[in-house]
Amino acid sequence: MKSKNPQKDNVSDEFTISRKEALKKIGKYGKYTALTAIGTFIILHPKKAQANSPSGLIAPGADGFFD
Amino acid sequence: MHEFLSKALEDKSIVWFKASNSYIILEEIAAQLVHQILENKTPQKIASVLAEKLTISEQEATHIVKDLNDRLVIPNTIKNSEKPSIKREYEIPSSVTFKKHYLINRKIFKVEFANEFQLSLLHPKFAHLETQETSKIEHTFQVFNSNHLIHLVLDGEFIGAWESKNVHYFQGKFSMKIIECIYNKNEAEWMGVFHASAINFKDENILILGDSGNGKSTSLALLQAQGFQCIADDFVPIDQAQNVYSFPAGISIKKKAVSVLLKEYPTLETSAEYHYERLNKTVRYLPPQQIDYHKKAPCKALVFIKYDATIDFEISKMSKLKAFEHLVPDSWISSSPKNAASFLEWFEKMPCYQLTYSNNELMYTAIKRIFEDEL
Repeated sequence: MKSKNPQKDNVSDEFTISRKEALKKIGKYGKYTALTAIGTFIILHPKKAQANSPSGLIAPGADGFFD
Repeated sequence: MHEFLSKALEDKSIVWFKASNSYIILEEIAAQLVHQILENKTPQKIASVLAEKLTISEQEATHIVKDLNDRLVIPNTIKNSEKPSIKREYEIPSSVTFKKHYLINRKIFKVEFANEFQLSLLHPKFAHLETQETSKIEHTFQVFNSNHLIHLVLDGEFIGAWESKNVHYFQGKFSMKIIECIYNKNEAEWMGVFHASAINFKDENILILGDSGNGKSTSLALLQAQGFQCIADDFVPIDQAQNVYSFPAGISIKKKAVSVLLKEYPTLETSAEYHYERLNKTVRYLPPQQIDYHKKAPCKALVFIKYDATIDFEISKMSKLKAFEHLVPDSWISSSPKNAASFLEWFEKMPCYQLTYSNNELMYTAIKRIFEDEL
């Protein structure tokens, strides 16, 4: 009889787990995901001083204008 | 004791550190750990409680606490060593090439420029405020180059000197000094200055935000033509009491937007056009109508706007965390604890929207509905 899941034929029993075990494992990974999240953060720095949008004949970084 | 603040925002926490003036978005449980570290609880004690709470080993918990301390707490509680301040040795040029006088909130400001490059950095956006009345000058700015830096002096007092890469900070400081002078408030009395446009309707303001090129200024000009009052373009000052103040610089209209606005502003056709070749930008400045220097009003909402020719109209409530991530790096927020607390409290109550449009009428309607609490 042809298997409904041909891939399954290639998986040895050694690696098959029950639904209960799978949930337990996911739960464990869920815990690690949560632990990773504790160490994940975003640092935002406001500008150090007031700024305008660039305008004028001098572009920020252009050399020679302040000599 | 290190100074810090913390606030819950959606499903995360925000912690602000005075030493680094940084806002950090993190998980609530991480914020609790940071609190405990800052309260000088021993790492062992913190780890022990955490291990029990998360049902993990003490070793794992210790690692988490150490990691947070090393990567987050320590770098943000050590005061950055001050950069060597720019020398205040300068020589004011004996000759002044350009002198301009501006009338702002009944005060006359004289600005002296040593060359046309310096003039181009400030004058175009204030040109509509130029006055021939020069008898009662209240404040005098001097702008000149010395030691390869552009210098700003106000009433004989050195304000700052900037390298060419920071020329936008020179422009920002000039704007800030104008604000301080016309409202008699020093820098510490301002909560922040926001890179936004501000419009007023019935004594409330909406801040229009977005990346450069998204159409903030054009939207502001369009809304002004519909009867909304222009409060500020590009530079929106908000004080400690969380009121938005007028900033009278001209509205910067990019060349591609001129045709869109000619119907409402026919004078734009013949307005001076400025070619900023090095910035790859050509602009005209539209004077704001009815600048009211006595008007200070609260902010009602933040609208992140985008003009997109392919989208007729879309508006949605925006995640506050996403809005926060956009807002903070683009703003100057005062680093004093009082102002940082005011900013966090202000932002917490601020509704945030994302608005993308090409249909002007629908944009006007949406903004009006936000003002009238109908959205």
